[in-house]
Amino acid sequence: MAGLTRTAGAFAVTPHKISVCILLQLYSPSAQMSLPFLFSSVSQHNRLGLYLLSLTKSCDDIYEPKLEELINQLRELGEDMDAWLTDHLTNKFSSLASPDDLLNFFSDMRGILGSLDSGVVQDDQIILDSNSSFGMFVRRCILAFNLLSFEGVCHLFSSIEVYLKEAHSSSDQYDVANNNSESLTQYNQMDLENYAMDKAIEEIQLQKNAGSVPFHLHTPEALFKVTEGLLVTRKEKSRTSKKNTEATPASYASSSTHEDTLVDESLFLRTNLQIQGFLMEQADAIETHGSSFSSSSIESFLEQLRNLAPELHRVHFLRYLNKLHSDDYFAALDNLLRYFDYSAGTEGFDLAPPSTCCSMYGGYEVALLCLGMMHFRFGHPNLALEVLTEAVRVSQQLSNDTCLAYTLAAMSNLLSEMGIASTTSVLGSSYTPVTSTASSLSVQQRVYILLKESRRRADSLKLRRLVASNHLAMAKFELMHVQRPLLSFGPKASTRHKTCPVSVCKEIRLGAHLISDFSSESSTMTIDGSLSSAWLKDLQKPWGPAVLSQNSGSRKSSTFFQLCDHLVSVPGSVTQLIGASYLLRATSWELYGSAPMARMNTLVYATLFGDSSSSSDAELAYLKLIQHLALYKGYQDAFAALKIAEEKFLTISKSKILLLKLQLLHEHALHRGNLKLAQRMCNELGGLASTTMGVDIELKVEASLREARTLLAAKQYSQAANVAHSLFCTCHKFNLQIEKASVLLVLADIHKKSGNAVLGLPYALASISFCQSFNLDLLKASATLTLAELWLGLGSNHAKRALDLLHGAFPMILGHGGLELRARAYIFEANCYLSDPSFSVSTDSDTVLDSLRQASDELQALEYHELAAEALYLMAMVYDKLGQLDEREEAAALFKKHIIALENPQDVEPNIA
Amino acid sequence: MVSKETCRNEIRAAIRQLSDRCLYSAAKWAGEQLVGIEQDPSNFTPANTRFQRGSSSIRRRFSTNESISTPQPSIGFSHAVTPLPEEDEVIDGDLYLLAKSYFDCREYRRASHVLRDQMSKKSVFLRCYALYLAGEKRKEEEMIEIEGPLGKSDAVNRELVPLERELSALKSSGAIDSFGLYLYGVVLKEKGNESLARASLVESVNNYPWNWSAWSELQSLCTSIEILNSLNLSNHWMKEFFLANAYQELRMHVESLEKYEYLQGIFSFSNYIQAQTAKAQYSLREFDQVEIMFEDLLRNDPYRVEDMDLYSNVLYAKEACAALSYLAHKVFLTDKYRPESCCIIGNYYSLKGQHEKAVMYFRRALKLNKKYLSAWTLMGHEYVEMKNTPAAIDAYRRAVDINPCDYRAWYGLGQAYEMMGMPFYALHYFRKSIFFLPNDSRLWIAMAKCYQTEQLCMLEEAIKCYKRAVSCTDTEGIALNQLAKLHQKLGRNEEAAYYFEKDLERMDAEGLEGPNMFEALVFLATHFKTHKKFEEAEVYCTRLLDYSGPEKEKAKSLLRGIRMAQTGFPSMDVEHFPL
Repeated sequence: MAGLTRTAGAFAVTPHKISVCILLQLYSPSAQMSLPFLFSSVSQHNRLGLYLLSLTKSCDDIYEPKLEELINQLRELGEDMDAWLTDHLTNKFSSLASPDDLLNFFSDMRGILGSLDSGVVQDDQIILDSNSSFGMFVRRCILAFNLLSFEGVCHLFSSIEVYLKEAHSSSDQYDVANNNSESLTQYNQMDLENYAMDKAIEEIQLQKNAGSVPFHLHTPEALFKVTEGLLVTRKEKSRTSKKNTEATPASYASSSTHEDTLVDESLFLRTNLQIQGFLMEQADAIETHGSSFSSSSIESFLEQLRNLAPELHRVHFLRYLNKLHSDDYFAALDNLLRYFDYSAGTEGFDLAPPSTCCSMYGGYEVALLCLGMMHFRFGHPNLALEVLTEAVRVSQQLSNDTCLAYTLAAMSNLLSEMGIASTTSVLGSSYTPVTSTASSLSVQQRVYILLKESRRRADSLKLRRLVASNHLAMAKFELMHVQRPLLSFGPKASTRHKTCPVSVCKEIRLGAHLISDFSSESSTMTIDGSLSSAWLKDLQKPWGPAVLSQNSGSRKSSTFFQLCDHLVSVPGSVTQLIGASYLLRATSWELYGSAPMARMNTLVYATLFGDSSSSSDAELAYLKLIQHLALYKGYQDAFAALKIAEEKFLTISKSKILLLKLQLLHEHALHRGNLKLAQRMCNELGGLASTTMGVDIELKVEASLREARTLLAAKQYSQAANVAHSLFCTCHKFNLQIEKASVLLVLADIHKKSGNAVLGLPYALASISFCQSFNLDLLKASATLTLAELWLGLGSNHAKRALDLLHGAFPMILGHGGLELRARAYIFEANCYLSDPSFSVSTDSDTVLDSLRQASDELQALEYHELAAEALYLMAMVYDKLGQLDEREEAAALFKKHIIALENPQDVEPNIA
Repeated sequence: MVSKETCRNEIRAAIRQLSDRCLYSAAKWAGEQLVGIEQDPSNFTPANTRFQRGSSSIRRRFSTNESISTPQPSIGFSHAVTPLPEEDEVIDGDLYLLAKSYFDCREYRRASHVLRDQMSKKSVFLRCYALYLAGEKRKEEEMIEIEGPLGKSDAVNRELVPLERELSALKSSGAIDSFGLYLYGVVLKEKGNESLARASLVESVNNYPWNWSAWSELQSLCTSIEILNSLNLSNHWMKEFFLANAYQELRMHVESLEKYEYLQGIFSFSNYIQAQTAKAQYSLREFDQVEIMFEDLLRNDPYRVEDMDLYSNVLYAKEACAALSYLAHKVFLTDKYRPESCCIIGNYYSLKGQHEKAVMYFRRALKLNKKYLSAWTLMGHEYVEMKNTPAAIDAYRRAVDINPCDYRAWYGLGQAYEMMGMPFYALHYFRKSIFFLPNDSRLWIAMAKCYQTEQLCMLEEAIKCYKRAVSCTDTEGIALNQLAKLHQKLGRNEEAAYYFEKDLERMDAEGLEGPNMFEALVFLATHFKTHKKFEEAEVYCTRLLDYSGPEKEKAKSLLRGIRMAQTGFPSMDVEHFPL
């Protein structure tokens, strides 16, 4: 740790910096002339100046351009002077024939600096003020050079030779690992909370050793730069005392053993900070690209880096991340442990000063936290829980509140995700604030307590991101769980068995407040590094013959936004959290039953946060949109969209897209009456779930729900009922309330189809009451429809009551329902009218026909043959009654078509299977 | 069985050839073996006898006699007789002589320059070898020069690439001798091409088996028994040395010992074999024997520093302060800048409880050799003593990264984490260490203790571990006692009684007494009493009566209870079955 700070600001002379110095020499005017001789106009001079400015600002980046690239950039820069510039550059370099020339060169450089105390600068004269950023750059270079030992000078000299040689033998281009691939959105599969947690961890470190290098993980660049800034200032202070700590450049290029791949020959091993920053970027890349990221290439690169810099332990962490994303349990575990073993992830124990007693025990509790999350990710919830319990204990012992807050959040996340049967006392014996009450509490209540606790700590520690993600988690919790007073006594207790949409909304909003927090302090966020490299990119793009002043005008709005983005510089993690809040909004609207709102929120997410999101979130957004398409536009569109999504995301096992595909295929097969295919899809879906108890519980529930529906469609009622019953038990065991409602609805459906309307009624009513208490409006409407159908099934004398019920639910159904639900409602309405003895077809035929026509159109799109046939049959009957024979024949023909299609489901297979 | 005479002649020629090619350490090794062969009576000189005097004491004590007096029966394969290669130039060229003297003065580049146009195999080898060494020297210098804040070590031997190119060209044209193949193997190994390196080295040793350096390089490339078995080596007595060494590195100590014993039939006075045997015995924890062997070794070869760190470990384990200080002083005077010497001094300070100083010396050892495994581990132990757990963990981890099979370091890691109150985390490390040494009861006991901690309280798992410890013959007798207590705690009195009895047996056999014994006796007496097995109970009670203290009183009251029950019992009988 101290090792880091000591050398943090190290500034090494590299051949590239010497090139910049040479250019600066040209740029700076001699004392008399207002314009150096080679520039034909002031604007030309300015252009070079701007370019140099961006070069000097980005000199701390990990990659330095090769000479060839530099020359190319220069070529773009100026029409007529480029030849001269490059000539001068190469000549200057080739004139450096011995180490002595280097010495002379740097003493010449001193000449172009204005004297420190002159102060007065004439207005029309451009002089290299030694306090300007150019001046500072030159001074830093000179200082760094002066600090070099003779061996260092020799090394610099030989690296210059390599630098030149490379330019001559125009070597192959390297692509800066992930710069341009960003747009090809490939994402990973980490889920939302995990992500938030990961994000969160680094904040712990940040808080803990404020001023030291941030922890690891996906620290957003900007944030990283903040600490870098801090470090540099600290370094500046200490520099007076420690003059000899400058890093010496070492070229990899010369180390000819590393000839292969990713690492470019001309890449110079940089200062510690630069590498750390680079690693951070890589970590981000691993995260956002997930499993599609070529893990082997980064692995070989990391291996090299490890060989070159064995003391740089963060490499191990990166390897851990990499392995984590490529699902290699053993390697991930190994690397994680290794990283934390090496001085608890605080780097370099040799230099650890005894004074920093707080870091005595380093980040071992963080190690536990990471380990716990790793186990969680690999699907070992019990192990994870053990480890997290230990993490809680250790962070309490060491009174590391920050870590405790994160651990609690992780724990609540774990508990809410994994679905532990409610009675088992999973939570270890140790965490006192919880255990004092915990023994009698259900898992849900524990989750609630943990969340509250975590948020309280986060609030007091000002961990904004943790607070925000806690808010989101809380919103999720509130969304899914009935609110009940924790300790219920007396007559007043447990009156309100309801979820509370208002509090969900509140939590989401609170979570989203984060962005305002960050934008208000954006001034501290813009630190040279990230901005300048963005600058460099932007400057290169519009450059050309166009005059500089026009650039901002002619720039496309997207680049403008980009620039704004850089200027405001909201950390990536923050945008991700905000994005997550939009997704959560969409989910909640989905549950509450407002399709348009859900769609809108998803679209907002996809357009605004698509670029910065982690892959799982993006995948989720796509999933939602495609589901929406399937429900409201029919399968044709949905499958087309799915194709696009599949190209975007790598379909690996258990990915959401694969899941979606199976779901869609299942629905489609059900509707088309291809029950065999439906059953197969259903089984495949079930096969995706892990066999461990309590893991992947949602997936399992969904699979058996679909199985029940398939059996229902196959008219095997008793089996379907069996499946549904056992499913209900599972839901009860794992406290899945919302799923209970839909299982009840399926049960009601089963009884309805099997002709036992009386038996179905209680199920439908129960489902409705569940929906009511959870505010599931759309599901409730659908349950109401089923209820009405059941009533009608009791006999035509109940038609009136059924119709009333239906009309009550109509607004919801027509406003938000999908194609199927709407069609069902229409057909049912017609059915009601037709079975109502007081209704006469001849007088009021339009009411019926309109509904039926609507229904048949919608079912056409859905390819739901069974219902479509029913609608058309009714239509034909009505036409028959009315005596409109042509229409009757038309409807009958369509009816026949659907019936034939229903009976031969294999005829037209969808081409995507 | 090769005759001693052939061995002797082969080695003599080989030493000449090796030192002619400046392969000094191989020549040194061969020389040691040469004088290790039992003396040739024909050239019996007083000097020779002086050298060999006393070296047989160890054999007198520990070796079977026939292995010395009668020739060892052949192990079942005939050794192929590898003809000694003929020198391609009988008289070295003048340039070669010059180059060799440059080489001897460590002016490697000059040496290779002198030989630039020489085409004979010998000259080519020396030129390449000199270049290689020049590159190595430069590499080490560079490593210090560019040592940056990250501990960068990207310095490489720049001669490797041209050397590889040249040697592979030579090899494909067939113009390479076994020495060249050896060098080629070394270069390939440095470049990370292990399988090719292995092939090249195998070819080299098959052609010219007397080059011990080639064998050692080959050994370092045999990281598993599968690799070792897959090597296609022709039979030669040198192969036995190689196998013995390789087995030892693969922790197959018994097999290794067998090989060494066999070799001792020929090289009965070899210090090398003696040291290696001691090493193997050390791994088998036969400390007394190892100590005697090392004493013997030092008597013959008083200025030996190699392997002496092991001796110091033994002395440390036996807490022989004086002997350790004597050893430390001796090696210090011999050569203080050897990692082994520093390690010995570190051990001495550690034994004296001066851990800071110990760490300093271990550090010095590591400065001299960064990959010095035992220094890292020992330093870890010191940091543990100093309660600087993070530093300890770091040191252990480095040891593990150098050699992932080092069970001591894994164990140390586990211990350190346990010390920090992270037993669950520590378990992983204990598991690792046990994986590499499954037959050590100490490791099992450590793991069991970890499961037993109040934070985890996973008693069933602890019991399983203790059972394993018992099956590995736990010498300290912790496991039995703990097993009994755990079963008692879990209310399984039958099992508890079983283990208490076993523990008692063990203590009786070793003649131990102490609180454990009282505890066992009291438990057993009460247990048998409650189960109405009065005779057994009485036996244990009477044993207790031999001791004073509260146990005696307890025994008395127990006895009284037994009497009561015994007298009451028949009367009840009478009541039930009136005659």
